[in-house]
Amino acid sequence: MEPPKIWRERKERYLGIGIMCEDCKKKNFPKTRICPDCGSENVKPYKIAERGTLKYFTQIMNTGDELVFNTPYVVGLVELEDGIKVTAQIVDCDFKDLKKGIKLEQTFRVIARNGKEGLIKYGFKFRPI
Amino acid sequence: MSNEVYIIGTGQTKFGEFFDLNIGDLASEAVSKAIKNAGIGKNEIRTLFIGSTVSNSLSQSSIGGICTRSCSLSSNAYRIESGNASGAAAFHHAFLSIKSGLYDVVVVLGIDKLSDYVQNGTIEKILASSIDYQWEYEMGATLTGLYSFLTQAHMEKYGTTLEQLAYIPTKNHQNGVLNPKAQYRYAIPIEKFLNAKRIADPIGRFDIATPCDGAAAIILASERYIENKKTHSYKVKILSSSVGSDTLALQHREKLTELKATKIAANDAYHKAKLTASDINLAEVHDSHPIGEILAIEDLGLVPKGEGGKASVEGLTALNGKITVNPSGGLKARGDPFGATGIAQLIEIVEQIRGNAGKRQVNDVQYGLTQNVMGTGVMSYVSILGRGEN
Repeated sequence: MEPPKIWRERKERYLGIGIMCEDCKKKNFPKTRICPDCGSENVKPYKIAERGTLKYFTQIMNTGDELVFNTPYVVGLVELEDGIKVTAQIVDCDFKDLKKGIKLEQTFRVIARNGKEGLIKYGFKFRPI
Repeated sequence: MSNEVYIIGTGQTKFGEFFDLNIGDLASEAVSKAIKNAGIGKNEIRTLFIGSTVSNSLSQSSIGGICTRSCSLSSNAYRIESGNASGAAAFHHAFLSIKSGLYDVVVVLGIDKLSDYVQNGTIEKILASSIDYQWEYEMGATLTGLYSFLTQAHMEKYGTTLEQLAYIPTKNHQNGVLNPKAQYRYAIPIEKFLNAKRIADPIGRFDIATPCDGAAAIILASERYIENKKTHSYKVKILSSSVGSDTLALQHREKLTELKATKIAANDAYHKAKLTASDINLAEVHDSHPIGEILAIEDLGLVPKGEGGKASVEGLTALNGKITVNPSGGLKARGDPFGATGIAQLIEIVEQIRGNAGKRQVNDVQYGLTQNVMGTGVMSYVSILGRGEN
């Protein structure tokens, strides 16, 4: 929860900015300076899709201290409409009602809290459409 | 003379919660036992390779000096970190240091002290350091949460059931009863695993290996040293020590139904040892979660892909089954002091090859294999040991 790290990751966490390779055309998230697929340095910013499908999900009962305030919560592996996969929390739903394959959309939320007086970290989660 | 590498001594603490022992105490017990077992002088040791995931609660990353002082060694020391596979990573580098001809005698120490982390959430955070911390853990996943995805993927594709998965810890606890060094020396009925509260559905609260304290040490020596000195009481040959890799995050993998890193490491290890999977009837594998053992036996080629669950239920991997898997009790019953685990796996194979494994002795052991995994399989280390006369 270091302030410079939160600031540095603002475009990825707040806007979902990854990369697209101009040479092999593959999209990747999070961003890298070199395309992880072909090694080209010819990459440009790319905004990942905001909708996707739930591939796997589970309910987290035990987790690290910054996330404990939120337990139990659901985390899933989401395949976005552009083929990129991300790990994120699934909100605005009950664990027992969730099913694989449902459609989801991105939503901007509080991700972690550093105690009662520390920084609050924001980022994206997903909710059923 | 060829440059073969041998194990000539081993030493290990009991695994468990030792609130009155610090990291130096654990190191000195394991290393002293190993030196005595090998019959070598302390001054012959050139380097101490330390496999440790979190060092200790003093945030002392550089534990080399602590270990050499408490073991009264004057050698240099490295700490090697490779998550839950730190022990196997240190062993791999120790093996290379002798294989290359640089050193003749080195010590590998696997060590971690995790019972200090009593505050809720600390162990989960430590475990998260071997998954993608930024884009898995900070987004809400945990190591066990990700193992839940691996479990679901296997259940979905191969029809693996919760009952089949529960056989893994049940069998490993039965083996652990016979291991004096194990943390949990009692059997647990399968219903206990099946009826337990789910902590990351479908993974139950008793399914997971528990982090604990422990140290394990191995003395490696070159063929040149052994031939010249002739002071060793036994030698076990390292036929191969290999490593494979994959992406850190599950979201960057094409398949979640296998650990690619294990497959790569296993192929290389079999090739270098001039063996195939059908030569192996003894393996110590990474069963931190039940699906871990199923993926291991499949990806090592010990059972056909997709049949790991069925093979376990049929007793193929039970003690003195067709392929004995985790006779020590595995990470589950032996306890999991992360860095020490990879070394304890190798020590179990050494004891089995020497016929010293007591009530858990496997019949007709020619070779033994170990598999130690970092995180959800970003690195996987596979080693094969054989009898010294090979």
